[in-house]
Order: sequence, then structure tokens, then C-alpha cells
Amino acid sequence: MKRTFTVCPYCGTGCMFQLLSEGGRLVGVEPVKNHPVSRGGLCVKGWNAFAFVGHPDRLTVPLVRKRGELVPAAWDEAIEKVVTGIKGVQEKHGRDSLMFASSAKATNEENFLLMKLARRVFGTNNIDHCARLCHSSTVVGLAQTFGSGAMTNSIDCIEKTELIFVIGSNTTEQHPLIGTRIMNAVRNGAELIVADNRTIRLARHANLHLRHKNGSDVALLLAMAQVIIAEGLLNREFIDSRTEGFAEFAQSAREWTPEHAAAVTGLSPEEIAAAARMYACSKSAMIFYSMGITQHTHGVDNVRCIAALALLTGNVGREGTGVNPLRGQNNVQGGCDMGALPDLYSGYQKVADPAVREKFAKAWGGTLPDSPGLPLTLAMNAAHNGTIKALFVMGENPLISDPDQNHAREALQSLDLLVVQDIFLTETAQMADVVLPAACYAEKDGTFTNTERRIQLLQKAVEPPGEARADWEIICELAAAAGFAGMQYENSAEIMEEIAALTPIYAGVRHDRLTPAGLQWPCSEQVHAGTPILHREKFTRGLGRFVPVIYRPSAETPDDNYPLVLTTGRTYFHWHTGSMTRRTHLLDREERRAFVEMNPLDASFYGIKNGQRVVVASRRGEVSVFAKITESASPGVLFMPFHFVEGAANALTSNELDPESHIPEFKVAAVRIRTAS
Amino acid sequence: MKILTPAALEIFLTSLGRDFDLRVPVITPEGARVLGQPGDGEIALAGGALLAKPTTVFFPQEGEVFTAGSENQPPAASAARQLVVGFTPRDLLCLRFIDRFFADGLRDDLYFRMRAGAVIAAVSGFTGIDGCFVPVSGGECDLEFVFDGAAWLVVPYSQAGRSIAALISSAAPADALAVVTKKTAEFINKDAAIILAASELLLQDLVPDSFWEEIAASCILCTGCNLVCPTCTCFGMQDWRFSDRTERSRMWDSCQLDGFMREAGGHNPLGTEALRTRRRIHHKLAADRTKWGEISCFLCGRCDAACPTGIGIVAVAAKLVERFGT
Repeated sequence: MKRTFTVCPYCGTGCMFQLLSEGGRLVGVEPVKNHPVSRGGLCVKGWNAFAFVGHPDRLTVPLVRKRGELVPAAWDEAIEKVVTGIKGVQEKHGRDSLMFASSAKATNEENFLLMKLARRVFGTNNIDHCARLCHSSTVVGLAQTFGSGAMTNSIDCIEKTELIFVIGSNTTEQHPLIGTRIMNAVRNGAELIVADNRTIRLARHANLHLRHKNGSDVALLLAMAQVIIAEGLLNREFIDSRTEGFAEFAQSAREWTPEHAAAVTGLSPEEIAAAARMYACSKSAMIFYSMGITQHTHGVDNVRCIAALALLTGNVGREGTGVNPLRGQNNVQGGCDMGALPDLYSGYQKVADPAVREKFAKAWGGTLPDSPGLPLTLAMNAAHNGTIKALFVMGENPLISDPDQNHAREALQSLDLLVVQDIFLTETAQMADVVLPAACYAEKDGTFTNTERRIQLLQKAVEPPGEARADWEIICELAAAAGFAGMQYENSAEIMEEIAALTPIYAGVRHDRLTPAGLQWPCSEQVHAGTPILHREKFTRGLGRFVPVIYRPSAETPDDNYPLVLTTGRTYFHWHTGSMTRRTHLLDREERRAFVEMNPLDASFYGIKNGQRVVVASRRGEVSVFAKITESASPGVLFMPFHFVEGAANALTSNELDPESHIPEFKVAAVRIRTAS
Repeated sequence: MKILTPAALEIFLTSLGRDFDLRVPVITPEGARVLGQPGDGEIALAGGALLAKPTTVFFPQEGEVFTAGSENQPPAASAARQLVVGFTPRDLLCLRFIDRFFADGLRDDLYFRMRAGAVIAAVSGFTGIDGCFVPVSGGECDLEFVFDGAAWLVVPYSQAGRSIAALISSAAPADALAVVTKKTAEFINKDAAIILAASELLLQDLVPDSFWEEIAASCILCTGCNLVCPTCTCFGMQDWRFSDRTERSRMWDSCQLDGFMREAGGHNPLGTEALRTRRRIHHKLAADRTKWGEISCFLCGRCDAACPTGIGIVAVAAKLVERFGT
């Protein structure tokens, strides 16, 4: 029996556990009592994180499309085909006709190297990853207001706060171990406000549950700010000494009286005022949010409002306070940190800054492209209209995870070259010209950065299947085949040394410093112990900034033809496009079918019975799924998870984007429903 | 009975690794105390019950049943005889319970392929968390390592245990066990009374459904309570079809999952969270007591330690007794 202490591959909570293996085969998981995040517990996905690794569907050899079929190929042939294919496209259509989609499931080292491959080897800033679809609104909104688009505080702060305000996060399902900390804090006396249209589990424990209408967050949050200002509940000293822009923001909030907001949100004025008073009158209050805030065409505005609430009340820079975006995937924080973003190098250093470019160019040799690249969502649009011709996808499945599936499919079909590097033959990989088989989390070393900025060590437990290789090894081979000699590493620890040398917030990070509990960035030198709480003395940008916000409704609201609101998300038992969890026996058994949640009133109106097959249709498509009738859904609102290829929620969602973060509006679309004939 | 200094104990146990497939509590380099092998870290017998159940050795979370299309042989047991050190006396009661369970009716040959012949060593004395006292088992195992506060007494109970103890040269004084035996006799586990009282309430059907709804509201369905429980024995099966073979394996299951009892047509006799929460407690404290003559929670403490929201069996039993007891 071999034990390997490593990081869970699912959500951004960052639990660590021991993988147990026997004769090169994983046989179980054991929680670890002394880990600061998981503390001896795990969620159901963590307990089952070993179970997909040895699945027979794992990719074991490279695949190359010949005469329309994907057939096994040697590594040399596959690598050659990728490199000549990319070069051919770039020669014909220009450097920026190529897009790289990096992965929030891959390690920091791998994200850094794919960023380096895109910029240094292939000369394009067209690199992004799925943070575009989850927290790009946070990155933009918090960078503007605080100077740093990450969770300000630590998970441990939950035990030190008086009030927790959760908005747009189904925490017990999506960040289960953080959800349990919140439940425990409530049991120990903390107050809880939950703002969520659905009756999520946390709502059952809340002192106040606000079921505001989908897409009305700005109205709710501005009204809370208005109450705080009007009733003098603000922290004047903090505002005067630590912030700027208060007057302009206050002006933008002025019209949002609780009565005005009530008409937009569907809440009562009293509920809104009560939430504002509870939040402002606590000595310390934490806000937690997730995709219910970010995935809107006004996602950045939502984040600005949240930041403003914290600034108004001085709830930043202390224990038990802060603005705490819960990052979705295991390494989505790290993917952003590593500069797998079109406008930023690692450590949020701007592509547009000549000094930054010069630093990286000096380290890597050669020249680097100077204009920011395309965000992922705009790149899919560009593929659709024919200006992006080659797409390299590492560990993502955009055919299922991107909005408006028909649009995504057409975009992928329009490409001259699609390369997918993954652990399973996903729906996107099935469309690829070349498929490169990758090692999964249990088969390689590296680091993941969790939602509280904790950089933790991933350790190899078993060998990859067949000829599969670690993503970083594949990237290095691509670089070498493209004629670049500057990407040769003995191991992933060496890559981290390069990251540290070029990335001030990771400067003190080395693999040998990360056992057992990792380090929270910023970590500026090798003796630095990490930073559990940001913005203590001053904000990363200097002063905290209030930004005025103007309410805008969602892009597509219900009408006579499409009278219901569809909101999408995840469930507890499955992960994203299901490539891992649907190949995990217990998780797959628990939730086997695509479904839509609807309120009993709607079910009654449409004559739909629980478990019946129904068709949900939007302007973009329709899918057939099973009805799940539950009080958890509000009347007039349907909820669908996006895990299921056979009932793809994203066949219905719209590709309307936030104008600043370019995040799609996954949370609001207009649909109709009928029983399946 | 033999005696070893703490330093000599480590050397002795390590030496046993030459003849046995040895499992022993160790502290890994990351600081986790686990049932490992001597090379995995520093041996650490003291520290109370291990977070994971020691019976994992005989019944892993996932284990191969057979592979069809190859030699068609069931998986082989370990070549060397297994020696598993680290059962607390309460773990021994759990082991006795599942030994009986797996032997009853259709004997579980996969379990006994691993279990048969294994040498079981308990750990007791001043070995709990922060040195608190763990009562001595006085049997139910092959040998016992008892820490009296200064030295380790090695107490054999079976022929296998005597063979191991015979390897130690220094004999313990005749009255060496007296202090810990006396303390064991005086030891009162207050949780035992709580569990018994809760069992009575359940058998008398005095707990309303609303109570289980309240407990279920705090359950995130992690299934950890089942997976760490040494008397939980439920498992599921899976077949993996490779191009050249089909592998059948079984893995621990959990009655907290909807799919655990859901019928093919969709009906589920345990179709709500409240019913499943009730079942978990009721099964251990009432149903097993009726069927096997004993409550199948032996107070090992694991589910209370592993539950992220504080609804392990002792916590729930205490609430239940406080709420509905007389």
C-alpha cells in the first residue's frame, strides 16, 4: 500500500488527502486530519476522487484524424502534426489566427508553460482559460476596486466573523467544505444572510433568505448600499482614510430606495433594509459569492456593488471580513495567477506594459507580442466568423461548457485545426484533428492554488495509462518541435523556480516549501510565510475605489413566447461536463439523468409530473430532460445543470457577454417548457 | 508478558516488517497519523483511534473481485502473513462484529482471503489523544501493546501473539499490568450511556420525523460517516470493460446516498434525506441490536471526527437523548 499526500482535483476549496494505491492502482482516499482546509473531512467527490483514474475510457495513445477518423498515432507524428498545423495556419492567416485555451484543471506549472508557449513560441497573446466563463467578472471588478481579483480573506476567517452574507453561491454543493464551515459558524452564533433565488441548503440555516429575481442583484445590492448610507450605518473613518470615489458611488445608489428595489427584485422593502442593517451593524462581516454574481451581462457591476458594500462598512483587511469570491475549479485561481489570460502575464503583470514585456523577453529571449489577445468567448465568436483558424485546447470541453452550443459547435467546425489535450475523449476531443493523451491529477507533480490563494503541492501517486504524458511534458515537446530550446525542465519544481523568478506574488514559492499546508500568495521571498489576509494596511491598488453602478436588466428576459427564466449551474454530485464524475460509479449512480428543476406551481400549470420527460426550448435550441419538481425552484424559474451531454443546458443558454469581462450570461435565459410527446 | 522502552519498541516493530506484511500507525512527513508501513514515517502507536478504520486492510475502499478474459483468477492475498498493529480495544469490538457479519450466511470469501491468518495487535494504556487513557482490551486479539506511561508492555493472547512476544528478551515485572488494569476497571465511558439511552428511545419509537429532518438539514451527503465506520460493510459493484478484459471490483457504498436503495423504476423506500439520516443511526442503534444482539456502534469516534458538520453518531445520540430522554 502506497500513500500519496496530494490535492483534490475537484473544486477550488483545495482539500488535501491521501491517495491510496496498491500495485500501481488507486484503491481509495483517506482524509487528513491536520490539513488546514479539510481538517479530516471531505465531500462526496473528494471521497471518490480516485475512482475515475483507472477508467477504461482513459486516452492512452495520441490520436490523429485520417480520412475523417481519429486513429492511433505515434507521439512524434502527433506532435509534428500539431506544430506544422499551427505554423501553416499562422503563415496563411497571421499569428493571431491561433487561440490557446488553457485549463483551470491543470497545474500552475502547466498553465505557465502554455502561456509561455503561446507568447514566446507562437507569438500570440491569444490565450485564455475557463476563468473567462466563471470569475472573469471578479478579476475585472475587484482589480478595479481593490487592485487584486482574488479572495481577500481566508477560509479560517469564517470562524472569526459575526455575519456571513452568501449571494449567488450554493456553497454546500459547490464548495462543500467551505459550506460546512459556514454552517458550523452559524451553529456557533454567527448570523447568515443568503441571497439566492433557490432554496439552497444554506438557506435552511439562514437568519434571512432573500429570494430575489434572477438578474436583479445590482438593484438589491445598490439598495442595501442606499440604506447603509441613508441610515448612517457606514464606516466614515474607513471611507475617509482608505477609499476614493464615495460621493460618485453614493450618487448612483441614491435612487435605489428599498421600495424602488423591491419592484425590481421581487423582495419586500423590509427584507432589503433588514439585510443592509444586519450586514452593516455587525462588527465583522464576510461576503461570499460565486457564479450567481459573475455570470451575468452585468457581472462586473455586481462585483463592484459587492466591493462597495465592504468599503462602505470597512469590512476589508481584517480577520473575519472581506470580499470572498469562491473560485470554482481546483486551479482556476492558479490559471489566472499564471497569466493564462489574454492581457496579463503571470502575477497579473500587464501585457500592455513595455517594462513587463521587456522582463519576460529578457528571461525567455526573443520578442513578445505587444497587444492583448482575445478572451476565450470572443475567440469562439472569431472562430465562428472565420478569423480564428486554429484552436489548441488543454483540458477543457467547450462544446458542453460554452454558451449556445450550436454556436460553439459551428465555431469548432469552422476551424482549420483543432487540437485537444485531455484525459478522456470528450465531446470536444471527438471533433479534434489531433488528440493528445494527458496524465490526470493523480499521475503528475505540480501545484494547484486554491480559492484562498493557497499554493499546494500535487504529488504523483500512479503512472499515467499507456503513453499518456503530463501536460507540461507535452507542452515542452511542442516547444522543442517548434524549434524553441528554452523550455526544457527536469521536473515541475524547476518550472516553479522560473515562475518565482518572473512573478513577484509567487517569488518566495518553491515546491520544497509547500508541505504540508502550502503558502498563500503574495509570498515575496523565500522566508515569507504567506498572506492570509489581503489589503490590511492599504489596498493592493493603494486606495479602495468606489465605482458608480447603473442598473441594467439581463439581456434576455421572459416574454410571451419564452415565458420562463432558465438559470444554469452545477449539482453536488457532478463536475462540469461530467467527464470524470460520470465515470465514477457512485456519483454517476446518484445522478444519472439530465434534469430540470421546476416549482410545483409551474408543473401544475404545464401539466408536468415529477420524473416526466419534458422539452425545454430557448431561441437557440431545445433539449429533452426529466422534470424534477421541487419547492427549491422559484415559480417562473427553471434550473438545469450543465453536466449532461444528452440534455445539454448550454444548448439553451445565450452568448450575450458582459461588455467588460466578456463572461456569458449563463444565469438568465428565456425559455419555454412542454411535456415530451 | 514482555516490556520494551519506547525506543526499543520502534526497533522491534520495524524488525517485524521482515517477516510480516506489517501495518502500523505512523506519522507521515506531512504530519498525518495513518495506518502505514514502517518506511512511511515514524512509528506512532499512541494518538488514539486512527482516522481511517484499520479494517481497511481486509476490506479496501475499492478492491478487485475478479478479471474476466485474463487468467480468471481472483486476486491473491498478500504473500507474507499480515500483522496489523493499531486497533484500539473498541476497534477490536468492531472487528469482531464484522468478522461475524461477513461469516454469517453466505461467507464473504474476498474479505476472509485477506482477513484469514492476519495477526491483530491492539494498542492501549496511556495512548489516547494527548496521552489520555485507553482501557486495555484484555483479549479479542493476538497481542496487545500497552503503554503504562513509561514503557510498553507486550501482552500476548494467542499462539501467534506468543511467537511474536517471544522475540523480545526483557520480561516485564509480574505486576506491571496492575496499574493499567485497575484504571481500566475504573474507566467509565460516558458516551456508552448516551448511545444506550438513544438506542432505547429508537427501539421505543420515541423520536419524531421532524428530528431527522433537522439533522438531515446539516448533512452535506459527504458519506464520510459510512466510509470511516468500522462496522459499515455495504459495498457496490462495478465492471470496467477494457479492450482485452473486464474487471469487476467492489467499493464501499453509503446508505446516505439516494442511489443506495433506489429501485430501477425510480421508487425509493429511503427517498428523503431525513429517512436516510434516520436509517444511519437507527441501523446501528436499533436494527443491529435486534438482529445481532448488540449495538453496532462501539464508540470508536471516527464518524464524529470525520463529519464536517458535527452530526456523527455520538453527537446525534446526545441531542436525541437531551431532546427526548426522560
